[in-house]
Amino acid sequence: MVRIVGGVTLVALAAGLVMAFGVAPREVTQGNVQRIMYVHVPSVWVAYLAFAVVLVASIVYLARRVDGADRLAHASAEVGVLFTGLTIATGSIWGKPTWGTWWTWDARLTSVSILFVMYLGYLLLRGMIEDPDQGARYAAVLGIVAAFNIPLVHFSVYWWRTLHQPPSLMKPGPGTMPGVIVAALMVNFVAFSLLYVYFVAKRVNLLRREAEAAA
Amino acid sequence: MPDSWGFVLAAYGLAAVVLIAYWRRLVRRERALGAEHRSTVRRA
Repeated sequence: MVRIVGGVTLVALAAGLVMAFGVAPREVTQGNVQRIMYVHVPSVWVAYLAFAVVLVASIVYLARRVDGADRLAHASAEVGVLFTGLTIATGSIWGKPTWGTWWTWDARLTSVSILFVMYLGYLLLRGMIEDPDQGARYAAVLGIVAAFNIPLVHFSVYWWRTLHQPPSLMKPGPGTMPGVIVAALMVNFVAFSLLYVYFVAKRVNLLRREAEAAA
Repeated sequence: MPDSWGFVLAAYGLAAVVLIAYWRRLVRRERALGAEHRSTVRRA
């Protein structure tokens, strides 16, 4: 099953590249550098998704002590950290030609960096505690607390004056982007979401096998 | 605004390198666990 998801993901990622470079037009204001959006925005979407899964799985673990929920939270946090790092890096690369700087302590950039550090801390906490049950319990609490930062990241562009533009897609009301750009973005959303499912499925499987080997 | 293709390539290149590296790490760990499991079975 995981292999099939992997194959479909590869096709979806190829379709995403075709949409980003072959179908989506050159943006009028920013030029071709705007094509970074097709990797930057889906990356932050996957990060949000991953940390939302950590939140739900952590609640389930604390309520029912299901090992599978703990493994899902662990795997999802790891993949979420990966995609948050990618979001920060691609955003920085996009920022240089458009804003004239690699980095600025703007509300969105700062809040997403805090999100990154919090979940990095989550992974470190898991690695530091030797007793697996205790580690899972502490991590679940941190997984719930850290999730409060997700709305802070998303709405930071509305709550504070920032250099980062407000969301063009993940917002209420009618969209302002041309249909073909939305379509290209959607294909990449699907591709990155599939990649998230593939990575998490593989990581959960590994965590289960590691637990079995250690027992 | 100039097209700055170098930045586009850097962003996509970095994404490709990071994602492939993570995938390879998972695959290597899978293989290592498989090898450990086979050697345990052989010893038993």
